[in-house]
Amino acid sequence: MYFAGVDIGSTMTKVMLIDKSDNLLSAIKGPTGPEHRQLANEVMRQALEQASLQIDDISYIVATGYGRLNVPFADRQITELSCHARGVSSLFPNARTAIDIGGQDTKCLKIDNGKLINFVMNDKCAAGTGRFLELTAAALGIELQDMGDISLKADKKIQISNLCTIFAQQEVVALLSHGEKLENILAGLHAALASRVAALARRLGIEPDLVLTGGVAKNTGMVKAMKESLDCELFVPEEPLLTGALGAAILAKETYMKAVAEGEALPTKSRRLEKATFFS
Amino acid sequence: MSDKNKGLSKAREIYSTRSQRVRELKAAGKKIIGYPCVYVPLEMLTALGLVPYRTYGDIKEPISEVDRALPSSFCPIMRSCLDCAMKGKDDFLDGMVTIHSCDPQEKTAHVWESYINYPYFHYIDMPITVRPEALEYFKSQLNDFRKTLEAFAGEKLSTDKLQAAIKSHNRQRALVKELYELTKPPPPLISGTEIVQVVKALMSLPVTEGNDLLTEIIDEVKNRTDKPEKKSARLFIWTGTLDDTDVMKVFEGKANVVMDESCGGIRSYRGEVKITADPLEALAKYYLYEITCARSFRQATIGETRKDYDRDLQSRFGYLKGIIKEWEINGAIILLVRYCDPFAFEIPDLRDYLNSLGIPSTYIEYDYTTGALAPMRTRVEAFLETIS
Repeated sequence: MYFAGVDIGSTMTKVMLIDKSDNLLSAIKGPTGPEHRQLANEVMRQALEQASLQIDDISYIVATGYGRLNVPFADRQITELSCHARGVSSLFPNARTAIDIGGQDTKCLKIDNGKLINFVMNDKCAAGTGRFLELTAAALGIELQDMGDISLKADKKIQISNLCTIFAQQEVVALLSHGEKLENILAGLHAALASRVAALARRLGIEPDLVLTGGVAKNTGMVKAMKESLDCELFVPEEPLLTGALGAAILAKETYMKAVAEGEALPTKSRRLEKATFFS
Repeated sequence: MSDKNKGLSKAREIYSTRSQRVRELKAAGKKIIGYPCVYVPLEMLTALGLVPYRTYGDIKEPISEVDRALPSSFCPIMRSCLDCAMKGKDDFLDGMVTIHSCDPQEKTAHVWESYINYPYFHYIDMPITVRPEALEYFKSQLNDFRKTLEAFAGEKLSTDKLQAAIKSHNRQRALVKELYELTKPPPPLISGTEIVQVVKALMSLPVTEGNDLLTEIIDEVKNRTDKPEKKSARLFIWTGTLDDTDVMKVFEGKANVVMDESCGGIRSYRGEVKITADPLEALAKYYLYEITCARSFRQATIGETRKDYDRDLQSRFGYLKGIIKEWEINGAIILLVRYCDPFAFEIPDLRDYLNSLGIPSTYIEYDYTTGALAPMRTRVEAFLETIS
């Protein structure tokens, strides 16, 4: 028996396949792009190939993330908040709070017994999300993945006063023209983003253990800034992008096993991996 | 029922076309008076043969004109309402009555008057706290309103006519309450989405026509076979105004919405105007004391030096306790339109009160555009997952 979790985020699409003992069979990441449905199809195909499985071998599929409604072959949709909570607690059984910083959302999750019990999310705005770093990296002419390491070389932290993504870019350009060092500006940017995320998390209340996930958790500068802002221990999974897809796969397994145990018939979708259209 | 000219189908039709009936009435010589807020005493318009017509914003209409008139960090609903007016959306109106229901309404009233030329315009300065001195002032304001209305209509507002109008509007309130009784069974016999359509239709029709429509709808809903599907949660929506079915559909995707505190829902129908010798005073009391919008501040401890928080919560939200029990509500969505201060200030206390009743709630802010719907859906579904 095999199970799949498909997480279509605003920036990246992730698929994970597991077996009934939670062994990981494959994990695939790809950029989401504008055509959610067709990409879900493609990333799923790659994941199956990696695991040497056919689509018909998968007993149950859960889709999550911003594009969860656009996965034509998924049996069930569950929000990324519940999936992250489930994924995080499978990796860190003592986790009570998780912060996920994604491309367009930042979510703070309260977890109890593997289940999401409360949450807060950022307002509808790029400030406080991964997009903030993406756009400032572009404005500074550096690669996103280098940002964190460069910031660690800072000898002082520049104060960034405005967290609006557009205004922060203007501020950064002005700071450069004043001759401030790039690494110091980056340290300031990370601290500014971290303080915004920390304020959001405090609205929810932080209980240890605390786990940081999402693409931004791969940024070393950001992990450091978050630790400083929150003044507590912070756990980061090896693959922080994949906790949503992992949680989705585990919830797929749990949904399926529960139905089997209770002798219920579980409706599943067509397993054909065809390109979906918006008319289907 | 597929007859477009009856019951729910008719309400759905009016919800999307809205002004067709008042345009017909205007062609037949009637005067149509717009109002942007349910605090305007419609009875006074009805009594003089004027047709009240609620003006709304539109979440699907991109803002293009109003930036000339109002700042961008301002109530998006008022911005959208005035934007629609500046584009001539309700150009059939013979007049407009606005009221100080909140500061953006008050400020917008004066801007509105200077941008749009109606034959009749009146602004009612309604007090914001619920207390005896406020009632006296509000009565004097309604008296001023009476005078300008009489001058516009060329007719005196007699006590008899006003009493008759109060009875018609009370009839509408009773019928709406009867309709909400039909959301009590699981599953409800009528959906929140249908109620948004019905209320918008009522606010687009003369009161007697609205009452006829409601009578048809109640009869249809009681006997319907195509009732809403039973979902996992029974929700209560607390918001300023929820006036678009696309927003309601986000809440109803995986739950049944069975009750609201919204002026696109039951808010202006919950109470009843008393029939007394002084109808103007009865109206003042009803609108100041009875409507449970966050704009009216009803503190329990006026004149006392120490604040008793529990008694205060009881005074402001106590009416919800019975509703939550009777409608078997198991979750509340607090929907805030961005920059809406009167509602924002109530939220921490409202959540304390709901917590004390053991009702889980979630708070969602949106900017009154369709762009907010996808993130809203994620928040609503995640909330439902936490309470399932």
